[in-house]
Amino acid sequence: MNAGYAMNPVRDIGLLFQRYAIQLLRNPVWLVVGFSTPILYLALFTPLLKALVGSGGLPTGNVLDLFLPGILSLLAFASGTGAGFSTIMELKAGVTERFRVTPASRFAILTGPILATMLMMFVFDAVVVAVGFGFGFSVHWAGLAVLAVLLGLLLVIVAAFSIATALVTKEINGFAAIINGINLPILLLAGVLLPISIGPEWMRVLAHVNPLYYLVQASRVLAGGTLTGPAIWQAFAVLVPLCALILAWATQVFRRAVA
Amino acid sequence: MDNVITARDLRKSFAARAGRVEAVRGVSMDVRPGEIFGFLGPNGAGKTTTLRMLTTLLPIDSGTATVAGLDVAARPRQVRTRIGYVSQLGGADELATGRENLILQGRLYGASRARVAPRAQALIGLLDLTEFADRRVVTYSGGQRRRLDIALGIVHEPPVLFLDEPTTGLDPQSRANLWDHIRALRDQGTTVFLTTHYLEEADVLCDRLMIMDHGQVVAEGTPRTLKQQVAGDAIVIGLRPGERGAAEAAAALRDQPYVRELEAADGQLRLYVDDGGTALPELIRLLDAGGIGVRSITVSEPSLDDVFLRQTGRSLRDEGPEGAGSSRPPDQKEKEVAA
Repeated sequence: MNAGYAMNPVRDIGLLFQRYAIQLLRNPVWLVVGFSTPILYLALFTPLLKALVGSGGLPTGNVLDLFLPGILSLLAFASGTGAGFSTIMELKAGVTERFRVTPASRFAILTGPILATMLMMFVFDAVVVAVGFGFGFSVHWAGLAVLAVLLGLLLVIVAAFSIATALVTKEINGFAAIINGINLPILLLAGVLLPISIGPEWMRVLAHVNPLYYLVQASRVLAGGTLTGPAIWQAFAVLVPLCALILAWATQVFRRAVA
Repeated sequence: MDNVITARDLRKSFAARAGRVEAVRGVSMDVRPGEIFGFLGPNGAGKTTTLRMLTTLLPIDSGTATVAGLDVAARPRQVRTRIGYVSQLGGADELATGRENLILQGRLYGASRARVAPRAQALIGLLDLTEFADRRVVTYSGGQRRRLDIALGIVHEPPVLFLDEPTTGLDPQSRANLWDHIRALRDQGTTVFLTTHYLEEADVLCDRLMIMDHGQVVAEGTPRTLKQQVAGDAIVIGLRPGERGAAEAAAALRDQPYVRELEAADGQLRLYVDDGGTALPELIRLLDAGGIGVRSITVSEPSLDDVFLRQTGRSLRDEGPEGAGSSRPPDQKEKEVAA
């Protein structure tokens, strides 16, 4: 059986993607948690925003059009950070080691689960958009399609970072400390819930070192149906190189640092 | 035929809070084809670290290792296609069935779905998994799970199989059953390399073994030759409770020419003699003449623990999670794994 082995990373990615997707489907807890977060935001935050419109310098218009793209960005970020928790569990259970001792591509062992997480995110995204549509969100298909690419990029960045951090820390406490420490400033400085534009200048400046900020900015433009503009190309210019960089780093970490 | 595993002066150290810790300090070995080769030692002896270097999971600091004819450091990917490895943790997917686990594992080794299905079926038969092969792994007992882990390790028919503490946490029946499966693999030509901290396992299962302590090999050979290195027979003399003459008795016996070694502790004298049968009447006479009350005398052939005791001054029985009862003691293992 081993005589005919030829390296085929694409095939390996497919196998490991499939495995991880099945694991997700068989563990409905994750699905429930994943679904409930964006729905709760929509249900419990949108009414507050509506009350604010007009009073505090917020742009007028449909509140959902402003807020829902931010929820999609938040979902990409949250799905990505969650990937490392699975990595910690699989390290503890010996699963990672079982895969590493096979000749399967190291890149595939890393990216298979990320792609499965991405698929799950797109399913959630579809539900959020459908629910939003029911409450008056205006759907622009072309914009959403481009936005999906950006959401996918951000998910890969965050998930690869989360997984690599998990591989380095190897245990839940250290990992959770790092991820939680980074989580809040990134979310607050991205304008997910309220636009950064209503904040003071130092906040607006600081937001520019936050990759999530670019995604959120572009997501509002794209969801509005506009396909060109500085926010969009800036988002691509930041996320594409960052994605390549983080994937290269995470693959390196995977090769060396796994116990 | 060439050795299946050759290692020369393997070394590995890790950064720790108190500076660098040398986990493996110059281990060399030659494992022959078709034997069960054991690595015996207490937890933290460096067994797992050595195993992980041989299986490409951990970079080698210095020294060389060849497995199945290939240099481990230079050609790790090719080595992976020729070895099977079952870690202490196993690592089967709990939410998948045994069969699904086997099929995925086979496919990761490059086999097509069409080829891997009959192989999975054969392994299910070989390791007695038929009854529960299509149940989720989370429902398996410890012994069933270990058999699946081994099936996962040999799905690609590797010539060498590495097993890290394969029977830790199993009940005696499951352990004996697993030994039979491991012997059957050996009899079909697979070379099996295993680590253990169970003396009995090393003694009855392994064709040859190495005893490790503090990152170094302290003894090597067949269980029989190792035990023969320990002088003759071991005699344990239990003294009457409250007996005050223990020190005198020890002094008197130690001077006898046929007594090779003697330790006195806890109202016991433990001594090694060339021939227990001829020494015993002499010893009894001496103790009697000295007026020392004896409660019991046992003569035994030396065990591997005597070998370990002799080399390190400590007993293996005092260490390790033996009898701890838990099916998988993760924390105990973690030290070596995470190091």
